[in-house]
Order: sequence, then C-alpha cells, then structure tokens
Amino acid sequence: MRRIDLVCTRLRTEERMIRDALLHRGCAVDLHRDDELVLSLDRRRWADGDLVLMRSMSFTRARYLAAIMESKGSRVVNNSRAIATCGDKLHTTLALIAEDVAVPWAFAGFEERACISRIEQAGYPVVTKPVVGSWGRQVARIDSKSAAEGILSTRFGLGRAPDHVCLVQQYIDKPGYDLRVYVIGTAIGGIRRRSDHWVTNTAGGAAPEKYDVPASHARLAERAAAAVGGEIVAVDLLETRDGDVFVNEVNHCVEFARSIDVTRIPLPEHIADHVLGLLQ
Amino acid sequence: MNAQQHPPGTSIGECPLCAMKIAAEGREVAEVISCVGCDAELEVVAVSPLTLAEAPEVEEDWGE
Repeated sequence: MRRIDLVCTRLRTEERMIRDALLHRGCAVDLHRDDELVLSLDRRRWADGDLVLMRSMSFTRARYLAAIMESKGSRVVNNSRAIATCGDKLHTTLALIAEDVAVPWAFAGFEERACISRIEQAGYPVVTKPVVGSWGRQVARIDSKSAAEGILSTRFGLGRAPDHVCLVQQYIDKPGYDLRVYVIGTAIGGIRRRSDHWVTNTAGGAAPEKYDVPASHARLAERAAAAVGGEIVAVDLLETRDGDVFVNEVNHCVEFARSIDVTRIPLPEHIADHVLGLLQ
Repeated sequence: MNAQQHPPGTSIGECPLCAMKIAAEGREVAEVISCVGCDAELEVVAVSPLTLAEAPEVEEDWGE
C-alpha cells in the first residue's frame, strides 16, 4: 500500500484536507508532529518512509527536519533547499535574481547608521521586513528619515545577531491588491488579495478574490518556483499600476484555508496528486 | 474549522477559557479549532474524553 509521512506543527484545516485527499486516493498517511520528532543523525532510514510531505509551520523545524530526513534517504517535499531558500527573504531574492526573475530592487545591510544612510540615498518610501518571518509580521513602510531611524533602532536594538539584518525593498505602489499563483509542479491557479492597506496578506485581513492567471504570470511563477527549487509553493506577485509584475516572495508551506471557498481551486487534491505521482 | 455546539447526548468537551461546550465527534488529536464562545484557538489534546487546551502561542518563525 502506498504510504506518505506527513509532518506538521498543528493539524490545521490545510493539513487535514491534504491528509483526507491522500486517504481518499487509497494512500496511508502517517502523521507526525514536528515537536515530537527526535531523529538520530545517521544514515538509517526514518519511519521506513520514502516520501515525506513537510507541512511544518516552523521554518526552523521544517528546514532542519527536511535536511535530516534527506540525509536518511527520504524524498522530502518541499526539499530542504527550497525551504531554506523560501524561508529567508534575502536568500529568496538572491535565488530569484540568479535566474533573472523580476523582483523589486533591494539591498541589505547589517549596521543601523549605514542602512539609514543607504535608505536616504534610495529615497522614500521603501519597505523593510525581517529576513525570516511571515504573515506580514514586522513588515514596515518607511516614509521618512525619522521613521527609518525609529524602525531600524528597534530592528538593531532588539533580538539577537541573526535578527540584525536589514533587508530593504523597493516600495511598489500596488493597485489595491497583490497576486498569488499556486505552483504544484506547474502553475494551477491563483488568487487576488485585495486590501485598503498596503500590506495584502490574507492573514492580515486582505480579502481573497478569484484571479484567472494569465499565461505570462503563470510562467513567471513557475520560473520563480524553479529558481528556489520549490515543487509546491505559492508565488506572490506585485503588479505596478503600469502593469509591470515582480515576484515578491515564494512560500514553501502553502496556506489556503482562508481562500479556498472563494477560489474553488482544489489545492489539497492537487497536492495529493502531485506527491502520489512521485511515488510511482 | 469552528467548534460546534454539542447535540444532546454526544460526548462533549469544554473550552478551558470560556467553558463553552464543544462536541467531541469528529475531533482528532493535534487538531486546532476555534471556540465559538470566545474565538480562542484550541488544540485537541485528547479525544476520549475530549480534552482541549489553549493552542500554543505562534512562534516568530511560524508562517508559510
């Protein structure tokens, strides 16, 4: 019988729907909570498993667990390289520009005054965000030098050395929404996320809308997914008012609970079909 | 994935924050539900009997 190991932090709507889609296809699913896993660091196979679907919400746990499981011979989806790249926005940007995928211009620095000076040269507004983080947390638009000083003072004054990275990105004047394309092997659909606020995460309250993905956006998203090595990802696109399109982020643990009723895209079924295809 | 109020006679648990009664039927360990009484995120710790706890705080590296 076909079997898949599903690793998760919590059994959220997403994981439950994916698990059910796999079960309906006659595949056994062993569920593992990431906080309960303690794995030996050797080359012995883990859980007799060949295929692992990594759905840990924790970037730290997901990338290390994926790396360990790969070293033990498992095929992990998404793989550790994709997770490590997508989970760090600086590395995501580097991977995208290496493949000439269009991104907002960006720069990074590691000291408060040097970064403020560089922001002054770039002009306002700009966007800064933690290199690790999600759901729009601590994403800030900087409109002035005094705002830059306040935000960077907080960024560099709190946390630990790994937090003291200042990623600054071009502010894109969006037409009230951003776009998300789901890539599961290939681009299979997307959503438009509309908000009066300039941050358009559905986790932050943006409203999902139907979005018929044009071929140009689908190809761009597939190129972005390939650049980070992701098989099952959500590619966030920013569209300017002039119609230019940039890749903003690539998400390796795709969430859809807030949007699936609107989009009607059967993402759990697509994910199940993709991973089962890997077993054949 | 909202918790439902329990029909008479079914196994029930209780929200640890607001004491809202929550039906056990169909629940699974590790599942996260929202309490319809107080909107708290609850984690299913056990199903027989249904035992609920406040879901862990979101950690800074959690996300997509």
